[in-house]
Amino acid sequence: MAHPTQLGFQDAASPVMEELLHFHDHALMIVFMISTLVLYIIVAMVTTKLTNKYILDSQEIEIIWTVLPALILILIALPSLRILYLMDEINDPHLTIKAIGHQWYWSYEYTDYEELGFDSYMIPTQDLASGQFRLLDTDHRMVVPIESPIRMLISAEDVLHSWAVPSLGVKMDAVPGRLNQAAFIASRPGVFYGQCSEICGANHSFMPIVVEAVPLEHFEKWSSLMLEDA
Amino acid sequence: MLATRALSLIGKRAISTSVCVRGGHGVAKVEDYTLPDLSADQKSLKEKEKGSWAALSNEEKIALYRISFKQSFAEMNQGSSEWKSVVGGIFFFVGFTGLVVLWQRKYVYGPVPHTFDPEYKEKELQRMLDMRINPVEGFSAKWDYENKQWKK
Repeated sequence: MAHPTQLGFQDAASPVMEELLHFHDHALMIVFMISTLVLYIIVAMVTTKLTNKYILDSQEIEIIWTVLPALILILIALPSLRILYLMDEINDPHLTIKAIGHQWYWSYEYTDYEELGFDSYMIPTQDLASGQFRLLDTDHRMVVPIESPIRMLISAEDVLHSWAVPSLGVKMDAVPGRLNQAAFIASRPGVFYGQCSEICGANHSFMPIVVEAVPLEHFEKWSSLMLEDA
Repeated sequence: MLATRALSLIGKRAISTSVCVRGGHGVAKVEDYTLPDLSADQKSLKEKEKGSWAALSNEEKIALYRISFKQSFAEMNQGSSEWKSVVGGIFFFVGFTGLVVLWQRKYVYGPVPHTFDPEYKEKELQRMLDMRINPVEGFSAKWDYENKQWKK
């Protein structure tokens, strides 16, 4: 989750998110350089006393300010496409989980081995236990084993939703009548928060997502417990 | 967009219905580049200008300049105090907006949720540290777990 007044990204919890962080650093640096240059030129133009009313054409600068932006765009596009294709690589998931959006909660189904399914509702503010995060914590978390490729199949029962967990670098629309596939690997144990990212009605802001990444033994214990309770 | 006068004696001519005919702004008016009507003194000065300029005194040169130009460079470039009114106006309206916000907070908004109480915030903070939220570069990375304080 973000800490109060946080402006930047959360720490990456998956390899893809790490790539996205580095790409963002790269692109932002380019953007800062361009903005500084433009701001300097504006200030220089506005404060100069020199005038020339008879400028016609100027081939050299036209070539420069056409070629240079093209080069900069290539410099941005190459890493961007690299990550795009990286995200789409064939992977071999250890686990497939279905996340289904409803108005206004998520339900998760682990159906690889047994039929495990449960709903995940936000904890209302008045029912929060001491220290729980308002609008973020849920009654049931989606537990996954660490360092395992996970396949998410995301859909919706009623209207559009979107399943997003920023620290894992995942966001995928939940479209009724459609299965969207997303994949991630949780590289470290921890609890990762996200919120529904497609407007879906009155309580769109109140159906968060909590992913808990734990070592495999803990995951196995958890799933056995959940199956018993069901 | 050009109107035509077909029936006129001078035959079919196109009439431009654009700005130049209407004499709107941006049109080069004859007053912009011809001399204004001159007094007798000014006319004789203009005659003198046709001779050697070294023979003109400074006042005459200045008078000739003023015939053609309303302002000198110095007068043209001088700033005004308008910026003070603008900045003052900005401060005033920002301050007024602040008053409106304070009034709203007191008389319109309800209480904030109990999660904003300082004790609750402490518990949240401790829970974030216990859960190792953002342990790489972010939140928990800045906490010294050995000495239970923020890293210097």
